[in-house]
Order: sequence, then C-alpha cells, then structure tokens
Amino acid sequence: MEKIIEILFNGVSIGAIYSLIALGFVLIFKSTGILNFAQGELVMFGAFICYGLTVLLKIPYLLSFFVTLALGALLGILIDILFFRRMVGEPIFSNIMMTIGLASILTSVAGLIWGHDVYALPSLFTNKTETIGGVILSLGYIYTIVVSVLFLILFILFFNRSLLGIAMRGTAEDQNTAGLMGINVKKVYMMSWAIGTLVASVAGIFLAEQSFVRLAMSHTGIKAMAAAILGGMNSIGGAIIGGILVGVVENLSATYLSGKEIGNFHFGDIKDVAAFAVMIIVLMIRPHGIFGKEKIERL
Amino acid sequence: MTSGHFKVTYQKDLALFQTLWIKIWLGILIFLLLIVPLFLSRYPLSILNEMGIAAIGAIGLNLLIGYTGQISLGHAAFMAIGAYTSGLLTGKAGFPFLLSLPLSGLMAAALGMIVGIPSLRLKGLYLALGTLAFGFIVEYVIFHWDLTQGNKGMAVPRVNLAGWVIKTEAHYYYLIMACVALSTIVSKNLVRTKIGRNLIAIRDRDMAAEAMGIHLTAYKIMAFGVSSFYAGVAGCLMAHYQRWIVPENFDLSLTIAYVAMIILGGLGTIVGSIFGAILITGIPHAITFVTDLLKENLPTLSKVIVDLKLGIFGLIIVLTLLFEPEGLFGIYRRAKAYFKTWPFKY
Repeated sequence: MEKIIEILFNGVSIGAIYSLIALGFVLIFKSTGILNFAQGELVMFGAFICYGLTVLLKIPYLLSFFVTLALGALLGILIDILFFRRMVGEPIFSNIMMTIGLASILTSVAGLIWGHDVYALPSLFTNKTETIGGVILSLGYIYTIVVSVLFLILFILFFNRSLLGIAMRGTAEDQNTAGLMGINVKKVYMMSWAIGTLVASVAGIFLAEQSFVRLAMSHTGIKAMAAAILGGMNSIGGAIIGGILVGVVENLSATYLSGKEIGNFHFGDIKDVAAFAVMIIVLMIRPHGIFGKEKIERL
Repeated sequence: MTSGHFKVTYQKDLALFQTLWIKIWLGILIFLLLIVPLFLSRYPLSILNEMGIAAIGAIGLNLLIGYTGQISLGHAAFMAIGAYTSGLLTGKAGFPFLLSLPLSGLMAAALGMIVGIPSLRLKGLYLALGTLAFGFIVEYVIFHWDLTQGNKGMAVPRVNLAGWVIKTEAHYYYLIMACVALSTIVSKNLVRTKIGRNLIAIRDRDMAAEAMGIHLTAYKIMAFGVSSFYAGVAGCLMAHYQRWIVPENFDLSLTIAYVAMIILGGLGTIVGSIFGAILITGIPHAITFVTDLLKENLPTLSKVIVDLKLGIFGLIIVLTLLFEPEGLFGIYRRAKAYFKTWPFKY
C-alpha cells in the first residue's frame, strides 16, 4: 500500500512539472493559436539561467529564482518581437515550423554557452524529505505540487477576472474582431509569450530540482505536449489534469513494465514512450482532448 | 508576332518538358551528372551521394507537406523503417537488393498509410503531434528489439545487383543518381496529373475539395503512402550506403533537417526539394571545411560544430519563413522572370 502511494505521489509530482510546462503550451496556444514546439527548450533555458545565476554568479537561490523568472519573461518578449511579430496571419504550418526552428536555435545557443555536460542545481530542498504516515516524501516534490496548484489558481483567476486575461481570450477567438474591439493584439501576443516563457522557466527550475540541468531536459517538453493534448489544448484545468495523468501513467509503467520481455522485445525504459502512446490513443479517440472544445469548421 | 511562351492546348500546358530549351538544359545536366565521377575524388563524390539520398527523401516529404498540406514530423521514422527493413531482408533473409529496395519502400508505405488514417480526423498541429509521437515510438521499438540490435547497431551488406557487387563511391553514385532520376520523374508525373491536382485541392481547402467530389480518405492516405514510400527508399539507400545503421541516425534532428530542406527549397515544388536537399546536406560539409581552415587559429571550433550545425538549420528555417516564404524556388522563379524580359520590367 505504501509503495503504491509513493509511486502515485512521485507520479503526481513529476506530473505537476508536466502540468506547468503544459500550462505554458496552453497559455501561448490560447491567445496566439501557435503550438510552441520550443516550450521544452524554453524550460531547459530557464533551468540553465537559474544554474548560471546560483552556481556561477553565486547569487542566493531565492533571489536567482525570481531573477530567472524576470529574465524568462524578457526572453519571451524578445522571441515575440524577433520571430513571431511578422508571422501574424501566416498559415499555421509556417508558425509551427517557426517554433521548430526556434527550438533548434535555443538548443544550439544553450550548447554553445553551457556545453553538453550535466550539472546539479543546489537548492533549498535538495535531499530533504518529509515522512507522513510511513510514506517518505521529498520536500522538493511537495513544493513543486504546491507551486503548480498556486499557478493554476492564479491563471484561472487571470483569465476569468483580469482585463488582460479576457483580452487574451478574445484574441484567441478571433484576431481581427479583437483588434476592431480595441484590443491591442500586439501587446496581447507579447504578454502571452512573456507569461508562457515565465511559466516554462519555473517548470525548468523545478525539473532541475528533480533531476539535473542538461540539454536533454528539453525532451520533457514533448511529453508535456502529450499532457496538453490529453487535457485539451485550450483548457487550463485540462493541462493540469493531463500533466498529472501523464506523470502517473509514466511512473506506473516504469514500475510495472520496465525490465519485462515479450519474446525478444525488451520493454526497457518504457517510461519515455508511455506519454506518447497515451497521446496517440487520445488523438485517435478524442482529438480535442478531455476538456478541449471542438472547433467547428465553416466554409 | 507573339512574345514570350504561350500555351494553346491543354496537352502543352501539362507537358513534362515545356519548351525545347528545358530539354536542352536537361540534356546538358544529365550529361554533366554522368561524367562527374570521372573528375571528382572520393570525398566530393560522397557528398553528392548524400545529397542524392536526401533529395529522394525531401521529394517524398514535399509531396506530403508541400502538396497535400498534411504536416508530418515522422519522416525520419519512415526512413528508419525502410533502412531496417532492407537491412534485415538482405542481411538476415538473403534477399537480393533489387527486391529489397522496393520492399523497404512498400513496408514504409504500409506503415505510413496506417499513420495516415488519423489524418482524417486530425488537422494541422494535432497531426504534427501524432506523427511526432509515432517517430518516438519507432525509435523506441528499434532500440529495444533484439532483431534490430538496438544501439549496438546493425551491419548492412553491400549492394549486390545480380551478382555485381557495388564497392566504389562512383558506383554508388550511379546507383543513387538513377534512383533520384526515377523518383523525380515519378513525382513530376504524379503532381501534373489528376492525382496531383487533387492533392493540391486538399491542401488549399480540404472541405471544399471533398465537396467537389474528391475522395478525401483515399487521397490523404495515398499521400501518406507515397511520401513514406519515398522515405523508405531513401532510408534503404542510406543503409546500404553507410553499411551500418544505429537508431540515432534517425532521430528528431533528421526530421528537422528534412523539414528545413523543403522549407528552404520551396514548399510544393519538386525542383525546390532538390535545391533544398543539396543545400542542407552541403552546409555541414561547408562548416567542416571552414573549421578545418580555421583550426590553427581557433582550436575550440571543432568542438562546437554539432551545436553550430543545429543552430544554422534553425536559423535557415526561421529566416526563410520570415523573408522568403517561397524558398529558393521563389528566388529562382523571380530571377528567371527578370532575365526573360530584361531589359524591360514586364
């Protein structure tokens, strides 16, 4: 029983990180209509910036955490101005390819600056655990979950209550009409890229907490994409639940399937593809995700 | 007196070679391609071979993305399927190469058509994600299956054409160029006939195309099948050319390279795919060449070459999309129009 709880808890905590990354996807998708394939690279970039600040520049962890957030938001604004401002109104394919190009550039820049080594990010919670009812829980994991829930509440409030949030939703619905209604579409795009990158940086720091800081961190982005699809690309709550589901499925498959064999096929690290298998199944059965709204096409 | 080139019949408009000049230039090109191995050493020939293989794959991807408008990010996976199918057939089952080449294409096509089925419900980015996930799963299966020997890699025998074993770079060159020529002609014919027009109609507006009586299911799945067939053939050639395949050969970066090829070359053009394949394959070699020159002054440069390559591919995609969405083919067309009417503006 305790083992199951531990597996589930670990699944939920890695799932919380997927949720955060998926939240970034949804935020950018909701207002700009762009599926950002570079989200994983932004996560990696955020983690590397935090690593650079804490370890190389020796800035206290909490301070560098917030500086990373600010720098992340700046990076998002820069990306919007450099890459996507001119692409408004271009076909969806061009925009997707743009994000793929951006992903390659970000990986390349990170590789050039920080190299291909694996680094550890020392933080306040490293190696600290809490025991609740005989179950050992890592403190870092608990904080990840708490922060994810906090962000979820914040964003739901933001999109439902604040003027900018409502403007973002309006822009997502129809760029042209939103512009005619007096919404500053350019500003909305810039803000959503800033917030999307900021969330990615938070996710990056927490991911570094659970594993290491390295270039391959960006692969998590694609798993989080599976989470966003699972929940529905235009639903914030869906992103959170999708992320947690993917995390739990991954941990369950890692525990119960890894190392098994069928014939001459070894399951090995099935954890890495479990998310994709789930994604394909979801796409086949319910292409718009669990909470997503189907877009009705008119001629 | 007429000026310029006018077509007065539909037959002429659909002709494969539109003017006498095109035939002459094509003849010169074929002649040059035939005699090139006589003058080049092994290294430049190997670059040409790589370009040829890339051209086949790029044409296939352009048929799917550029002509049919179905975004696929699983091209490397189909190449892997072709490569491993041919490797297993010739290496373990003893099939002749002439049989395993089309069979590897067909194997990739069969799987491509299965992947194509969701494309009826999925559009745009959802399809991109589905094919991306397929790519990861194929890589995982190859990695963990005893038959494909995972990351130990698999040896692929030399090409054996009815008893004649291909050994030298020049022989590979002729084999690959023959395949490139064949696939170019097939694809050119495909896009100028009814099938190609139907595919373009689906790209431009699939619901309207369906309303006009185009069988959406059949054509979308066929586009996936044809594209994967090309990828499978390219993968098969790559396997026999490298003679050693590992799953890492076919990861996401290969897909990105192919996407960069067709974007740089021009979406929805056959010639553009070949331009793109030549350039994207050539760029890493150019970078290597430059780093070799600068090695004495900048010894650290060769360490960062992998990062530079990826960054340059990314920059190419981004800059092409921003400043020249039609790609190289657009530049070529404008240049041609300019010289045709020179010194006049129209």
